[in-house]
Amino acid sequence: MSTLAQLSHGLALAVTPLNLGLAALGSFLGTLIGALPGLGPINGVAILLPIAYAIKLPAASALILLAAVYYGCEYGGRISAILLNVPGDAGAIMTGLDGHPLALKGMAGPALSLSGWSSFVGAIVAFLGIVALGPLLARWALLFGPAEYFALMVFAFACLTSMVGRNPVKTLLGGCLGLALATVGVDAGTGVYRYTFDDVHLSDGIPFLVVVIGLFSVSEILMLLEQTAAGQAMMRVSGRLLFTLAEMRATWWTTLRASVTGFLIGVLPGTGASIASAVSYMTEKRLLDREGTFGKGDLRGLAAPEAANNAAAGGALVPMLTLGVPGSGTTAILLGALTLYDIQPGPLLFTQQPDLVWSLIASMLIANVMLLVMNLPLVGIFVRLLRIPYWLLVPGIAAISFIGVYSVHGTTFDLLLMTGLGVLAWVLRKFDVPLAPVILGFVLGDIMEQELRRALSISGGDWRILVHSPVSIALWALATGMAFAPALLRRLRGRP
Amino acid sequence: MSDRLAALLLVVAAAAYGAAAWHLEVPFAYEPVGPRAFPLMIAALVALAAAALAAQPDPEPHWPSPALLARSALVVGTLALYAALFSALGFPLSTAAATLVLGRTFGAGWTKCAAGGLGLGLGLYLLFDRVLDVTLPLGPLSPG
Amino acid sequence: MERILRSLATALLAAAVVQSSFAAEFKPAKPECVAGAKPGGGFDLTCRLAAQALHDFKLITEPMRVTYLPGGIGAVAYNTMITQRAEDANAIVAFSAGSSLNIAQGKFGKYDENAVRWLAVIGTDFGAIMVRKDSPYQSLKELMTALKADASKVVFGAGGTIGSQDWMKAAMIAKQAGVDPKGMRYVAFEGGGAAITALLGGHVQAVSGDASESIGQMEGGAIRVLAVLSERRLPGKLAAVPTAREQGYDVVWPTYRGFYLAPKVTDEQYKVWVSLFDRMLANPAYAKLREERGLFEFAKTGKDADAFVKKSVAGYRDLAREAGLLK
Repeated sequence: MSTLAQLSHGLALAVTPLNLGLAALGSFLGTLIGALPGLGPINGVAILLPIAYAIKLPAASALILLAAVYYGCEYGGRISAILLNVPGDAGAIMTGLDGHPLALKGMAGPALSLSGWSSFVGAIVAFLGIVALGPLLARWALLFGPAEYFALMVFAFACLTSMVGRNPVKTLLGGCLGLALATVGVDAGTGVYRYTFDDVHLSDGIPFLVVVIGLFSVSEILMLLEQTAAGQAMMRVSGRLLFTLAEMRATWWTTLRASVTGFLIGVLPGTGASIASAVSYMTEKRLLDREGTFGKGDLRGLAAPEAANNAAAGGALVPMLTLGVPGSGTTAILLGALTLYDIQPGPLLFTQQPDLVWSLIASMLIANVMLLVMNLPLVGIFVRLLRIPYWLLVPGIAAISFIGVYSVHGTTFDLLLMTGLGVLAWVLRKFDVPLAPVILGFVLGDIMEQELRRALSISGGDWRILVHSPVSIALWALATGMAFAPALLRRLRGRP
Repeated sequence: MSDRLAALLLVVAAAAYGAAAWHLEVPFAYEPVGPRAFPLMIAALVALAAAALAAQPDPEPHWPSPALLARSALVVGTLALYAALFSALGFPLSTAAATLVLGRTFGAGWTKCAAGGLGLGLGLYLLFDRVLDVTLPLGPLSPG
Repeated sequence: MERILRSLATALLAAAVVQSSFAAEFKPAKPECVAGAKPGGGFDLTCRLAAQALHDFKLITEPMRVTYLPGGIGAVAYNTMITQRAEDANAIVAFSAGSSLNIAQGKFGKYDENAVRWLAVIGTDFGAIMVRKDSPYQSLKELMTALKADASKVVFGAGGTIGSQDWMKAAMIAKQAGVDPKGMRYVAFEGGGAAITALLGGHVQAVSGDASESIGQMEGGAIRVLAVLSERRLPGKLAAVPTAREQGYDVVWPTYRGFYLAPKVTDEQYKVWVSLFDRMLANPAYAKLREERGLFEFAKTGKDADAFVKKSVAGYRDLAREAGLLK
């Protein structure tokens, strides 16, 4: 009961003209930044944080602005994923799998509005989850030690191999490439430099932004060139814009399931929107894809990752607020924003800064209502921003990609590396190697190796630690099931 | 055929990657699992997958025509030059130049490309450097 | 008396020189603070402290902006300032004891501690050893006794890798307790926060971290701080926590924070910055800003800072050699 009282108190605090204005501004900028290929929530929040601080916004208002940008990006990422097949951010990688084929079929309008709706449902489920389960889930996250995390990564990897692409071997190879890229840089355990070729630029590994933008933005420019040569025009939004009630009903359970899964995954520290959307896409594909329509423009394949990545974005706030542990790169920046305002994150936050915490949670509701409005009737504005002729769009993508990469380190090296990775990605695409496993492998690789080594450090080298808890045993069982499910299903289908 | 060739290259790459991991010098043994194990696992996995690929290759990929490949090479070259000169030439100038070439490759006229280059170079510079406070290089345009 | 007069005269003279050069010669334009890590980390915090203090005290007119050059605990920033921005006098770069330790271990590429101009040290944190609230270990001695009896029963978690400050702290204490650091089970997490979470989850039994990060969790009743690694007991909320020295382990570990300038900044520009920091550190309001960021008093500027950092790096080099981290 006190939870409800605190929430309404938070709502009252959040509904000041300044905070409402900031939530609207953040939502708009977030959607725009998320829609621009290569720029994601990390960039958006990182760009706006210094500005919010410089113009002396109070702590709660600054957090409301930044959180709105964060949610907005999760909405915006889908726009370019659907229309350009370039995920606007890492959480939207899975969105393009069915979203882009839908656009190719002339269903760009319904695809955009339906995914906006799923995003909203995901965010609201996450909102309810935070309010209801916040403290409880924080305790659950504590069950995850290194061994359990490693099992979770293996599970995510098992999902990967059967997830995308026509040839599972090539999917596996893509994942391995991602893992291998992740091993570049100083080894966290020993300080040994691996694959750095004695170059300081590589000593900390390849920055995530360089890989993401190289893979998805630079290679996209080359793909766009082939499309222009083939006389293919860019996706236009024509025909009806809104989804029908029947379409909403058909995706309703998928959206709800994906929202819950996404939220739970988002709560785990270290996992985020990208893993959540991959896992829920996979789950839906397993559950529902009887005619093999997933990947060819199935609305359910579009709704699942969008609901999941928004739910995960909300879920990632739980460990940040309750434990002071960021669940993702973006929440790490939000956490940094807290310390800027001399607020000590940790288990005390809920009791010591209730106004801040609850107005932030309340603003989640407000910002998402605004985002739904912006992304249903007003989606055309964002689409128009993307409806630029190729000769201007391509240099624009290049310039913004370069700015994004340059803003990380400000080095020529990163720009060249990004270009090189883009060419590599183009070759991979020619070979029908899907790129999503590459980036997921890259994100997972480092955590996976570190958790494995942490687990073995704790046990002094005894591998049995990997299966010492019920949580890890359950995860290993799920992973095995996931890895062998495709073969099993094929055999079952072979014998009707 | 392309897949078999790729498989061969992959085995070579995996061997080189694994060998580099094997030769890593671990300066001290404070940890039960060193920095070698994980890369070696990846190398083994890649080698296995490459063998599977060689055994069961996909149909030949669709390679672009020589003319298109030449244009792709031009785009890659432009991007590489853009990357190399981004810092030295500054954002507005390098972006204007890159826009000019890329725009031409994508079939627009000289006037359009020049205008687009000017607009992108200046507009994005003002937006990011001045409004959003993301520092961008100015190159020779920087005052003083 | 004479000494005081002389130093007063020097100070006045210095102030006059600075004042004139300030007006006529050099004044940081578009002042910038470079943090050699991602936003939110220790370098960011150091930068924000200086940016706020310098601006609040009206020592600079334009607000100082914070930029990020992440990589290798400041290695990328160090190399960038030396090779690409050697003459950039408008930027100060944050560094910490961690940077010094990495320089000592040769992890900053080919450059050593003589490659930049050390400007100031503006505050410090201290090491701390923590256990969970319900842990059977009530004192550092009990923890060490258990460690000596069976190293597999006491797993250390920390935010830093082997060879890092966190590891050094744990290893030095272990060594003093007669335990070989090689036999110690030590697990590096992604930062102190993650290590404390693992402690709360019961995945590790002790955490080697910093005093400031332990305060919040201690107040929340989740952890117990067994020892702080300072010379004397710390003021404020940690006053009840004994030092390691009091408990018979002679380990003191300050994690100081400060700034350096690019190598080819002129003497004049260097002096302007030194004077800015002198005035910032002398301002009575500074202590409050410093404490808000969990830093304890520690102030050195100019030549003093330079000598201090170089001596510190030399000390770390000896430690690293002793632990077998250097050949």
